[in-house]
Amino acid sequence: MNVEARMAFRPPVDQTAWLGSDPIPAKAYYDPEYYEAERKAIFCRSWLQIGHVCELPEPGSFIRRELEFADASILIVRGKDDVLRGFHNVCTHRATQLVRDAEGRANGFVCPYHMWNFGLDGRLRSAPDFENFFLAKEDCALKQVAVDSCGGLIFVNLSPASAPPLKEFLGEYLVDRLARTPCARATEFSEYVYELDANWKLDYDNFQESYHLKFIHPRSGAATFTPENPFGYPESFGFHGPHRTQMFWPHVDVDAATPTQKLIFGAGARFAMEKGLMPNPTNREYYALFPNFFLFGSPTQHFSHTVYPLSARRSRGVIRIYWVGPAQSASEMLAREYSFLVVRDVHSEDVGVIRAGQRGLNSGVLEHLHFQAMEGLCRHLFNVSNAMVEEYRREAAGTGDAA
Amino acid sequence: MNGEVCLPAGFAALEGFVAGWASPTTAARAARRSASTPAEREAFFAAAAPLLEAAMAHLDSRPLAELDAADKRLLALMMALGHVQMAVEVHREMEPQHAALREAMVITRSVSDLV
Repeated sequence: MNVEARMAFRPPVDQTAWLGSDPIPAKAYYDPEYYEAERKAIFCRSWLQIGHVCELPEPGSFIRRELEFADASILIVRGKDDVLRGFHNVCTHRATQLVRDAEGRANGFVCPYHMWNFGLDGRLRSAPDFENFFLAKEDCALKQVAVDSCGGLIFVNLSPASAPPLKEFLGEYLVDRLARTPCARATEFSEYVYELDANWKLDYDNFQESYHLKFIHPRSGAATFTPENPFGYPESFGFHGPHRTQMFWPHVDVDAATPTQKLIFGAGARFAMEKGLMPNPTNREYYALFPNFFLFGSPTQHFSHTVYPLSARRSRGVIRIYWVGPAQSASEMLAREYSFLVVRDVHSEDVGVIRAGQRGLNSGVLEHLHFQAMEGLCRHLFNVSNAMVEEYRREAAGTGDAA
Repeated sequence: MNGEVCLPAGFAALEGFVAGWASPTTAARAARRSASTPAEREAFFAAAAPLLEAAMAHLDSRPLAELDAADKRLLALMMALGHVQMAVEVHREMEPQHAALREAMVITRSVSDLV
């Protein structure tokens, strides 16, 4: 181990000073009125990560995604021209939802109610007895959402008319880095989902700070804590518009692993090396993409987490671990199983305190929350979100809309 | 399995665990772990952990796609061992609490399903 590097560790508190030090209004984490403003100001306007290109391998492939915060059901479709498009899963005749399957392959979409038939490009191809309508087919196409991808990740924006280009939203640094992650080359993934009584930011923030690790993960995270860095803090932070990154401290205590863990994790590292996934500049970097997605570039555990708001006090999470190519050997399959179950296991340790945090917030007894310097990513998320909420409220006041 | 040989030669010590632990899917392996007693987990871990290296050496002697039914049972056992290892070596007396919290985390897809 590089002793000089270990001795040199100093928490990068100066990198978050620009974010300020004010207490954070607690209402932002439980108040239905504030959530309603967030829903309109952020989620109905921002690019949202929603899937991966490996789910749409060929023309006609589609996935359906439910965005409860907007009461929206979204179809992402790969067209015959290989272009990804997104549509509301709503027949333009009388609003019936077209597709019930979560994923599949189709030549088009037919409404079960009156057999309106739409092409993969969303255009109305045919409809029984259409001559009796007072419409032109070209005015009956499925309603579109904006879709684009970066680093294999698919994003949608529910406000296509006002959405900036995805790459502009992400910025040059993240576009470059995301393209280099293992996820960008992924061909398959394992996934688990959960619903939790927690505001989306409270849930998401748990994964943005290392302050809690030694208290909540004293055993499962033991390798992360060293005498030089007892909290397992990251070595640096990065801020990129509304997004943020952190670079994890590299000097983990490998002796904390048991022989069984060393055997399985060792196999995982060997396969990552063979696939050219390590070393890679993204291997220790964590990418938090505004508003509700993060990706870790680890070569042996490259997982993502999307937190969808369901209400002011409830959220739904999707955790995925992506893999490059199918497992070629039993050891590679075992390493993938173990990587997946460890993420789920460690995550389970967080659930109790996140729920407890929401219950405390719901009591309304606290006016403010507090973030220390090393919880700067949480503060950044609040600052960015709150600025959008305030801007939205000013707009709404100007137009007379309720915010 | 009524005395039937279900595993490759050399792994007879694990025959008694096949019926209980050789589940073909990640979700089933996770559920089996959560439903098990401490004694069941410890007995399986004590028998299987010392054979992990030998089992993987045997299974890696041919491509994954060429494993026969007995090999797949052994692989399923080793993947179940991964789950049980977390319970026995990491969570220990906290495992029942973790099992309850894991219930909310529904496995919807796995690349390690053997079906």
